Amino acid sequence: MSVKQKKKVLEKPEGYKVISDDDLFRSSSQYRLWSFTKEQLDTKRVDTNAHAVAAIEEKLTMFKKDYASDISEEDAKMINEKAIPLTAEEELKLVDFYAKKVQGIAQHLNLPTEVVSSALIFFKRFYLENSVMEIDPKTIVHTIIFLACKSENYFISVDSFSKKTKASRDTILKYEFRILESLKFSLLCHHPFKPLHGFFLDIQNVLHGKVDVKYMGEIYTKTKKRISDALLTDVAFLFTPPQITLAALSLEDEQLTEKYLETKFSNTDTIIEASKDTNEKDKDSEVIKEDRPDKINYILLLSLIDQCKEVMSNPSQVSMEEAKSSAAKLYFCNHPMNIIQRNKKTQPDGTDSKEESPVKKQKI
Amino acid sequence: MSDKIVSEYTKEKKVGEGTYAVVYLGTKQSTGRKIAIKEIKTSEFKDGLDMSAIREVKYLQEINHINVIELVDIFMAYNNLNLVLEYLPTDLEVVIKDQNILFTPADIKSWMLMTLRGVYHCHRNFILHRDLKPNNLLISPDGQIKVADFGLARAIPAPYDVLTSNVVTRWYRAPELLLGAKHYTSAVDVWSLGIIFAELMLRIPYLPGQNDVDQIDVTFRALGTPTDKDWPGVSKFSTYTQLQTYPPPSRDELRKRFIAASENALDLMSGMLTMNPQKRWTTIQCLQSEYFTELPPPSDPSTIKLNKD
Repeated sequence: MSVKQKKKVLEKPEGYKVISDDDLFRSSSQYRLWSFTKEQLDTKRVDTNAHAVAAIEEKLTMFKKDYASDISEEDAKMINEKAIPLTAEEELKLVDFYAKKVQGIAQHLNLPTEVVSSALIFFKRFYLENSVMEIDPKTIVHTIIFLACKSENYFISVDSFSKKTKASRDTILKYEFRILESLKFSLLCHHPFKPLHGFFLDIQNVLHGKVDVKYMGEIYTKTKKRISDALLTDVAFLFTPPQITLAALSLEDEQLTEKYLETKFSNTDTIIEASKDTNEKDKDSEVIKEDRPDKINYILLLSLIDQCKEVMSNPSQVSMEEAKSSAAKLYFCNHPMNIIQRNKKTQPDGTDSKEESPVKKQKI
Repeated sequence: MSDKIVSEYTKEKKVGEGTYAVVYLGTKQSTGRKIAIKEIKTSEFKDGLDMSAIREVKYLQEINHINVIELVDIFMAYNNLNLVLEYLPTDLEVVIKDQNILFTPADIKSWMLMTLRGVYHCHRNFILHRDLKPNNLLISPDGQIKVADFGLARAIPAPYDVLTSNVVTRWYRAPELLLGAKHYTSAVDVWSLGIIFAELMLRIPYLPGQNDVDQIDVTFRALGTPTDKDWPGVSKFSTYTQLQTYPPPSRDELRKRFIAASENALDLMSGMLTMNPQKRWTTIQCLQSEYFTELPPPSDPSTIKLNKD
């Protein structure tokens, strides 16, 4: 743009405000609806769990009342032993277990990284709003992936999706509405992959001549993989996409990341401090400060990256046994009648039923 | 949850029906605010929720700007998805076509300014509209332009993304799309706005191609066939060899075609209608055009009269 034109633009109207990238991110649905502090996130999960536990307990009480004449003392004892609602921790573990499934299936389908990541994010968001005790995770796994494909503009017809996943058309579509509603109709995910590309270019610019291009290529690929896996943790609820990217970069090459951040940002602190001083005397410097695109608190940035690395480095490990045991509790909570029937079959003459337990038949 | 919301909005009159939605006028009960409800006919799609509906929901959720249609609420009822939108009684196409409405160069300037602000906001949120035309620029009761219909929108593509060039309504389609580009940028939206600007000044569609092939001919006849000199690599498009070669219009020819346009207005239009997408003006460049600072100043939107009374 010519200088001549810029001069005229400088006459700023009343209430004039520079909109920064931070402002734009704060207006995104990802920030407004799906970003939390650690405490908020924990509370949300506890609440969702408590709500579902209350519903299950009410259902079980009703069941015992309705079938009072059919339930022996033994049966009642079995119900109390087997139909135990999940705790918030168990529930989270089951969600994590299935989140890994979502990622695995989506990757197996050779979907682009963005689609895989959106599916994962959708799944995790869904189970902040819903309990696994209300909707069994395995019934929505395919729907979530199918919806993520559409949302990321990677359309696959339901027929070919059904063919590839061996899930029926009805299973795929059944909960699509319910999911969209639970996602609060918010579908745009800001993934850390674009910031990764940006930092990748900027590092080469800022540290020009000090980094090897081939090495940077390797770092890029490794960091991308690290980010994909980090999305299994809670990072996307707790941090912004560039913070996640920098944390992943730092886990890959701490020295490089520190050098880059120091070169780029360590001086801005002093600039901000200086402008604060002059602010009191001279109001005009406010504008200069506001216009600074890289107004970054370096110390705060480093501490946020450390916090993010911490979350990223501690992915939840859920064994098949844990998942199975939770799934069994879940099953009996929703099908108390099966406990009684199972009990009857194994009881009177001690002959074991040939029928397998419904839990074993259930595929995880 | 839905029951509460369903009764909050009434549907009073059917005002339109598209391929995937029916639009009703209605009222928000708690406030008496007039609203429009776009009911998306989900049951008719074998692949579940329609892509256009998904795009519309996805992008409108993110944009909050005075010159972009406001998504007031969303709810499900009877297996249909309902988008509650602000009530916008008319659009630029209606205004352009209605011979009883007189509008001035200052009104055009005001509309272009509002439209550019809305589209700039989309672009800086990394959203491409891909279907800008007078019919999708709605006007609020207080005269504000509202960019609407995000059914074709998408994220601004990464350099390696392969895209379909079959977007944008024909008359508003940029040359790179006409030539079948597999990759394009926010410049396609700016081109559409340039055509709309021309249409506002002429009061008839500027480049009304009869079909896709004719559109190429009409476009290049009016604005010149691009060459490798001003658009390096353009001759590599497979369709390029079949093109008629037309010279670009001289400044005088443009002045004769757009009689009322100032030099700054012509600069802006030519900037928006630059063949090479990389040289085409961005929405920021357009907004900084002297056209907007020279006289007459843009009309105050609320004073533009669109009714005969």
